[in-house]
Amino acid sequence: MKEELHRLNCFVENRPGVLARIVGLISGRGYNIQTLSVGPTEDGTVSRMKIDVLGDDRVINQIILQLRNQVNVIEVTCRRANRK
Amino acid sequence: MKKKEEKTGAQALVDALAKAGTEVLFGYPGGTVLDIFNCFPEAPFQFVLGRHEQGSVHMADGYARATGRPGVCLVTSGPGATNTVTGLATANMDGVPLVCITGQVPLGQIGTDAFQEADMSGICRAVTKHSFLLQSADEIPEVVAEAFYIATHGKPGPVVIDVPKDVQRALTAAEYPERVSLRAYHPESTATAGQLARLAKLINEAERPVIYAGGGVLASGAAKEVAKLARKAQIPVATTLMGLGAFPETDPLSLRLAGMHGTAAANYAINQADLIVALGARFSDRVTGKLAAYAKKAKIVHVDCDPASIGKNVRVHLGIVADVKDVLTTVDSRVKPATHDAWLAQIAEWWKQRPMAYRPMHDNVIMPQSVVEAIDRATNGEAILATDVGQHQMWCAQYFRHTHSRHFLSSGGMGTMGFGIPAAIGAAFGKPDHKVVCVCGDGGAQMTFEEMVVAVEHKLPITFVVINNGCLGMVRQWQELFYGKRYSGSILTVKGRLPNERLEQDLKYDYLPDLVKLADAHGAETYRVIDPAKLEPTLRKAVKSARTTFVEVIVEPRANVYPMQPGGQPVEGMIFS
Repeated sequence: MKEELHRLNCFVENRPGVLARIVGLISGRGYNIQTLSVGPTEDGTVSRMKIDVLGDDRVINQIILQLRNQVNVIEVTCRRANRK
Repeated sequence: MKKKEEKTGAQALVDALAKAGTEVLFGYPGGTVLDIFNCFPEAPFQFVLGRHEQGSVHMADGYARATGRPGVCLVTSGPGATNTVTGLATANMDGVPLVCITGQVPLGQIGTDAFQEADMSGICRAVTKHSFLLQSADEIPEVVAEAFYIATHGKPGPVVIDVPKDVQRALTAAEYPERVSLRAYHPESTATAGQLARLAKLINEAERPVIYAGGGVLASGAAKEVAKLARKAQIPVATTLMGLGAFPETDPLSLRLAGMHGTAAANYAINQADLIVALGARFSDRVTGKLAAYAKKAKIVHVDCDPASIGKNVRVHLGIVADVKDVLTTVDSRVKPATHDAWLAQIAEWWKQRPMAYRPMHDNVIMPQSVVEAIDRATNGEAILATDVGQHQMWCAQYFRHTHSRHFLSSGGMGTMGFGIPAAIGAAFGKPDHKVVCVCGDGGAQMTFEEMVVAVEHKLPITFVVINNGCLGMVRQWQELFYGKRYSGSILTVKGRLPNERLEQDLKYDYLPDLVKLADAHGAETYRVIDPAKLEPTLRKAVKSARTTFVEVIVEPRANVYPMQPGGQPVEGMIFS
């Protein structure tokens, strides 16, 4: 399967350690994060993370499912990042 | 209005653990948990002092595996916390509910390289389901409640609560919550009507169905439902290592263990099946062998509570994220009775061609498989069997008749040597009315031998059996089969060591330590068996004893585990001798 850049949009609880847990989950499986940005949402208790990862659909799907299993992750969506 | 009573964080923690249902707490003290230990004399639960933090976590793990209730342990910061990592990883891989409390240096000292400081929430991230680093005593009751909830809901797993020392000493009036509601974690999921209809249709239309049952069946408490489905529709059942006991092996429909050291019947049936109903299993590489060749003829239904495990290793035709017991209970009325005579006849033929069997290799030398068979007879198959990891573990899987849920305690995913002895002790605390037998190899036994003291001082009538072949048998087996018989690092006797170990060959002893003397020093009632004729009588005597017993059995050192489907090979690559 072809590797493509995927943009993951994660809404997470704004707590210490959450960023590390999510980044660790991706990098610990050998996938390199290309771009990462984290910022607050209107709801101060929720942060939004934008993560660009290179991988095939199967790998990305697995990452999304693992992210959704995380206790502090509220929602994860994904789109291919190279489509403008 | 009466002012709420304030108490220390340590007391709030102990009270919260009791509220959460803790009956036994396994642990080891140290500087940053002194305040918590100071509350123990009045605590309503029992404290069990291990001898190494790894042992304490494995005890909590064994307790959880045997009872289904979360195991609880408490250790200090720094080395105490890092010593738990192997135990946490073991529980994480096998989906065992644990709550592990670690001490931490005071908040103000975190990040200063303080004495016995370790970033436990960082270290344990990859080997736990979740972790908390407490910032205030007011969080304690709620976090404890959440930790138990997370450990036991969805796919169970270990949760760490890191508690800084000043948080333990601060005062709080916070109370234990009535119920837990987590904002982002809602693991409950049920099958849709459409999924259930498709499942029933697939089962009703299958000609060569197989049920492949994993540890999730035990976690869900669904053994009865599995047996009902299997018998109603006459579907043979193969189990994974973690699923042993999910279906009684005394039933003719049982294919017993599947995978690398599984039976020919189980692996051939999966290979030829037109439908595989996977229940609470995860298609690990030890089960599938070569993925591209796995179950090519079958439609695969995968029922699991973990959405991430569905489709992870094999492509499935129908994935259902739900509790196994719920699914089987609701689908039952739509499943039609069936016979599958031709399919069962084919399976019977495979059993005839390739029965589970072994042959003695030398006169008057005990075969290790016969030790497991003798334990089975001596306990009438009713013992809770805890194992370590390696050849003896596979023989325990193959030659014991597994009939009960939660009676086979073994480190499957992680393959942790040193698991057996402490896990057996934890199980004995959780199931005081059951006979617990622990089987270890001579390698793994030495990794956590010190925990045997705990069994002796609590008068636990566990029988520890060491199958001693003088080597790390599974490593030796791989070297014999795949590394040109170069036994590097795998021989534990003086004889047979390679030159680069530079051992003095004229040592007084050929084998150190003397395990019987060691067990004797720990206070156990000890036996050593060399003569095959004395094997079963000795084991019978040992399992009947009211004391902690230790039996060392000297066995054939060159026995291998067969059948074997070498890693990454298709089923055609199975070797039988």
